[in-house]
Amino acid sequence: MPYTPGKRLIRLLVVCALFALALIVVGLDVRARRQDEATRIGRTRAVVGLLGFADLALSSDARWLRHPSQAESGAAFADLPGALDIDPAGAAIGPPLTLLEQGGTTLTVVHRSAP
Amino acid sequence: MRRALAILDYALGATRRRGGRNLAIALGLAFVVGLVSAVLLLTGALEREFALSVDATPDLVVQRVIAGRPALIEVDSVERLRGLPAVRSVRARVWGYLFVPSLEANVTIVGASPGELGDTLTDSIVEGRRPRPGAERECIAGDALARHLGLRPGDGIALPVHGEIRVLDAVGLFHAESALHSADVLVVSEAMARDLLSVPEGQATDLAIRLTTPDEAGVVANHAEIAFGQVRVLDKRLLARTYELTFGGRSGLSAIMLLPALAAFLLLAWERLTGLGGVERREIGVLKAIGWSTSDVLLARVMESGLVALGGALFGLLAGYLYVFHLGAPGLRAALLGWSTLYPELVLVPNADLGQAAALLGAVVVPFIAVSLVPAWRAAVVDPDEAMRGTT
Repeated sequence: MPYTPGKRLIRLLVVCALFALALIVVGLDVRARRQDEATRIGRTRAVVGLLGFADLALSSDARWLRHPSQAESGAAFADLPGALDIDPAGAAIGPPLTLLEQGGTTLTVVHRSAP
Repeated sequence: MRRALAILDYALGATRRRGGRNLAIALGLAFVVGLVSAVLLLTGALEREFALSVDATPDLVVQRVIAGRPALIEVDSVERLRGLPAVRSVRARVWGYLFVPSLEANVTIVGASPGELGDTLTDSIVEGRRPRPGAERECIAGDALARHLGLRPGDGIALPVHGEIRVLDAVGLFHAESALHSADVLVVSEAMARDLLSVPEGQATDLAIRLTTPDEAGVVANHAEIAFGQVRVLDKRLLARTYELTFGGRSGLSAIMLLPALAAFLLLAWERLTGLGGVERREIGVLKAIGWSTSDVLLARVMESGLVALGGALFGLLAGYLYVFHLGAPGLRAALLGWSTLYPELVLVPNADLGQAAALLGAVVVPFIAVSLVPAWRAAVVDPDEAMRGTT
């Protein structure tokens, strides 16, 4: 007897269509947000230009979290000796290691004894 | 094709017959995928926000360092850089932090010249009005600060400085759309910034340099290092690159921390899928007795696992998106971004594309189908006679 697709397959198709619809809605939402952003970003850049730094105001609890780009390499140590981090924000806003190397001192070892 | 459809039809029926178990597995997968995608979407959106606005920052920032700590720099040093061919402008900035015990938070004080305020700020950026040139007590407050204090344009802010009270007039408030940059900021006149932050006349926090050709950044940075000795020169291009790595690295680390959850879940799924019940054995026995081959049974089991995994993972991905971009990631936001008093309203734009979503789905669905393969094979090779008698 030839197989004819049953109700279950039709239900699966409906579920797939719902997922596809949800993905389309998400796609449209992303598009709308990016269009809003295009008009907003000019104003945001003006604010950043005035302030002079683009660091995000995600945490104002410590300067190396508020302005990671402006904080020197010993900032955390200077503010709270012995502590690695006082705020979970440290889990998201990592120290920008390359930037922290800027202005560092080059250390060279001069060997005085014969090898 | 019809054969595959018939097997899929059977797999759908089997998925429904074992509805409770499959629903539990799908929900578990949805939770893990939702959590991982929420972390990646949140950090990706923040990275995007930074990357799009970093262009507006100065090309170079020169900070003086004494005893490993940032120190004030002489305003006169501006002249030593101004003469360089690639330098368009040099500005001695006065900015810093003021801890306000009543807020239990640091407020970022930024000193701005009347020219800067006039050039950059429009009504669409500030609610209220811009400070008037020469009006030293007028200021613009960030959105989070205004919200926390209940400020409206025109209200006063009293701050104790050197034992005296300074009253600032908050004539303007930054709109919430720029809150990710200005949430805790108080933009005041340069003279007031000096007063609030105790920066003496003739000194500044750092130097902001804008160049005619950004390619000359290295040359100007070298010149600044030679001219001032102990300084730290921050290059905007380096800053942009480093931030990408910083956010990427940290979000990757957070995602890695969630991997044990995925592994534990796969182990649980393996355990659930390995245990064949008596009903399932009889079902497989009947299928094989009526002519289903081992590969057909295997395919049906893989389809069942695939439907559960794909459904759960897709649901998780959609939930992750809604959680971050429509609910503002409550809970995760506090866990990732700290417990600041002055937190901005997040206006986020997704940075991820379809490829990344597909990669995340693949990273979950493929291992899940893989762990279900061995139990599926063990079920498929059951002897039909023994399975129906219930002797295996």
